[in-house]
Amino acid sequence: MEMGLIRLVAIAFTLVLVSILPLHVSLAGEITSIESVPDLQKLMYVAVDGYPCVRLLNLSGEIGCANPGLKKVVAPIILLKDVKDLEQPHTILVTADEMEDFFSRVSNDLSFASKVGGVLVDSGSSFQQKLKGFSPDKKFPQAQFSPYANVEYKWNPAASSIMWKAYNFPVYLLSESGVSTVREFLPKKKMNHKTYTSDVAEFNMVMETTKAGTHNSEACLQEGTCLPLGGYSVWSSLPPINVSSSNNHKPIVLTVASMDSASFFRDKSFGADSPISGLVALLGAVDALSRVDGFSNLKKQLVFLVLTGETWGYLGSRRFLHELDLHSDAVAGLSNTQIETVLEIGSVGKGLSGGMNTFFAHKTRDSSVTNMTLDALKIAQDSLASKNVKILPADITNPGIPPSSLMAFMRKNPQTSAVVLEDFDSKFVNKCYHSHLDDLSNINSSSVVAAASIVARTLYILASDSKDTSSSALGSIHVNASFVEELLTCLLACEPGLSCDLVKDYISPTNTCPGNYAGVILGEPSSKPYLGYVGDVSRFLWNFLADRTSVQKGNTASVCSKGVCSKPGEVCIKAESNKEGTCVVSTTRYVPAYSTRLKYANEAWTILPENSSDSMGMVDPVWTESNWNTIKVHVYTVQHSVYDNAVLVGGIAVTTVAYIGILVAKSFITKALKQD
Amino acid sequence: MAAGIGYALVALGPSLSLFISVVSKKPFLILTLLSSTLVWLVSLIILSGLWRPFLPLKANVWWPYALLVISSVCFQEGLRFLFWKVYKSLEDVLDSFADRISRPRLFLTDKMQIALAGGLGHGVAHAVFFCLSLLTPAFGPATFYVDRCSKVPFFLVSAIIALAFVTIHTFSMVIAFEGYAIGNKVDQVIVPVIHLAAGMLTLVNFASEGCVIGVPLLYVLASLTLVHCGKMVWQRLIESRNQSSPSL
Repeated sequence: MEMGLIRLVAIAFTLVLVSILPLHVSLAGEITSIESVPDLQKLMYVAVDGYPCVRLLNLSGEIGCANPGLKKVVAPIILLKDVKDLEQPHTILVTADEMEDFFSRVSNDLSFASKVGGVLVDSGSSFQQKLKGFSPDKKFPQAQFSPYANVEYKWNPAASSIMWKAYNFPVYLLSESGVSTVREFLPKKKMNHKTYTSDVAEFNMVMETTKAGTHNSEACLQEGTCLPLGGYSVWSSLPPINVSSSNNHKPIVLTVASMDSASFFRDKSFGADSPISGLVALLGAVDALSRVDGFSNLKKQLVFLVLTGETWGYLGSRRFLHELDLHSDAVAGLSNTQIETVLEIGSVGKGLSGGMNTFFAHKTRDSSVTNMTLDALKIAQDSLASKNVKILPADITNPGIPPSSLMAFMRKNPQTSAVVLEDFDSKFVNKCYHSHLDDLSNINSSSVVAAASIVARTLYILASDSKDTSSSALGSIHVNASFVEELLTCLLACEPGLSCDLVKDYISPTNTCPGNYAGVILGEPSSKPYLGYVGDVSRFLWNFLADRTSVQKGNTASVCSKGVCSKPGEVCIKAESNKEGTCVVSTTRYVPAYSTRLKYANEAWTILPENSSDSMGMVDPVWTESNWNTIKVHVYTVQHSVYDNAVLVGGIAVTTVAYIGILVAKSFITKALKQD
Repeated sequence: MAAGIGYALVALGPSLSLFISVVSKKPFLILTLLSSTLVWLVSLIILSGLWRPFLPLKANVWWPYALLVISSVCFQEGLRFLFWKVYKSLEDVLDSFADRISRPRLFLTDKMQIALAGGLGHGVAHAVFFCLSLLTPAFGPATFYVDRCSKVPFFLVSAIIALAFVTIHTFSMVIAFEGYAIGNKVDQVIVPVIHLAAGMLTLVNFASEGCVIGVPLLYVLASLTLVHCGKMVWQRLIESRNQSSPSL
């Protein structure tokens, strides 16, 4: 008995010692602390951060990407270079350099496409792609709106057209954190359990149009499973127009820029060079001109117009011109006949080369007005003290103006005298046109500052209608370079993004990352829309332009709450971030941007029949975006079903063996008790 | 889904077998099992409440965890003694009641079955608290591997360890009750020692691939408990049988 005790205690203590000894060596490495079952679930089902490609529809069909059915897509992950004879659809991990060839191959090779369950694009190390150039758009973007016949001209030579095709699988661009998540996940495959587990990606990108079976714009708008693309353009006049006054007939110099871009991935389309550099140059010019006095004494009126939806069939310009024809509230104070000249600021971010900023002036047609504009540009160029800007006329062998809002203006009225300022001549210098790579690193801020300086002085010259080059007023027009640089980081980067001080001064942004995709138009289109339906950038532009073009009547600025100002001609600005805004005298208005083929009635959108008087409407694809509930991607490890079943069988076996053992023990004990 | 059920069966299947074959036959045992499970679950909740202010424990050092294990084992062993005291007074009540209605008192086998049900309750409480509560994600499509035990899925290791502890707790209670009843020092000491050893053995899992050593050792302990319990029960039954029919 005593020996038994000593033996047992000895064994027990040995075990305790054994347990403590190895630990001195072992506790290296981190312990991911799991504090609850939800934590465990988050570690098991790892969320992957990134940007999706969504389903867009037009009158004849669909483009873009989506889950093929109503369920989540779950497919094992494989690298593109390892793809050989797949039996079931897989999630293909594509690097940035392989992207263009991959999508071209998918469109051409149906058997390959059937093996693709989903696509994850690794955005890391894309400098190779940036060098070579990557543009998913067409070689002549929006050629159907061109006012001239040569639609085969290759304005965008780096184009692959992949964003205009339809794909029957989800595609997801991994963000930086998403790339590290997936990369950390995959090497675990090399561990011992490789043979009976596989790493899968789960895509939850079900589009409502797939659910409802509506595969073109007309059907989906009828069912309410999609919304039309569009938004709110903003225009502002310097100085403010007195609408009630009847002798308000100064000729108008209209300056135009766009605020929307697009790319293969809905939420990653900064559009730095095309077209945001132009927008920032316009804002820099407005800022410079706002510090000049005596605008009301000048011969012409300046109007600044920032359009949205231009990427999707020139929705902004077409609707603006339509509203002018209708003399609607949105354009009160303007009329078609008053617009004498139009200056569009296109891509101006890549003009810097060898210390010199070169821009090209493309004119719509030869006329006295366009010559006047070109002369003004020359005078402005010469007046700049730094002498680092050069404006050159576009090559006469170009078929016409490059893809720009002026194409819509020309189609509406072939007599339009207009000039578009671009950083390229015969072909885009932006090799990443309409791609997720057209970001801040793709442009030069000094090029934008130079463009802003030229535009500001040109506009002053045009407005004053004088060729007086030695005017001291002209020399005093300076663009604030730090303002331009700050604005570039607000509109073209996620940090600080729209939470930068400059933007927060005017609005409370709903997103920090500026997604310069036009998006869909929400609610009923009107010139006084519900501000919750207006995008962050549009609201910022409205407030900023109203502030800069405003006239302070005396020094008493009254406060306004609820956006209402008592005096006529006044608008309430900065009413979001501070609850009380300021009333200023300014003519700044929203103009809805949506297709001229659409009509909003009874809380639904309908497509109007083709109208021969609206030639652009006849070729308008009428883009809509499918509604979607949630877009999420997770990666996790899955055991093969054989193993799962083995565990179940094991559990049942353990239970059964235990049962048998207990029965045997019971019979032994009963025998022992009954042994008499 | 299949895997989830499998893991649950690995941890609690034998308990289920024991329940069906022994406990379910007698209502009093079912009551004992339920109240025992409740008592031990409450003890674990109290322990987690007491340790809550000290969380999170320092990640790369082992001694806070050792302290946690030692304090918890001491608390539970103290509670076990209390549990036995309550059972003893209940046994006296039942015996006096049996005397009053002229029925036989509790046999040795009855007392051992009550102890077994009590131990099973302790084991089930442990399995529920440490394994079943984590098992919900196992019913989904994904599985999970921990870096420090990369050969086997996390849920499987958890279920296997839970099974070992169920075995240890179930049979320890039988040993402990007999030890307290007849004053056998060996039995009284061995139960806390085994419990403590088992608890400390789980710390071996902190080592990289430590589960390869820790888990089999845990099963050595569990088999030790089983064997010792079996020997003790056999001895006591033979003794009692000899006592009831003294000389033939």
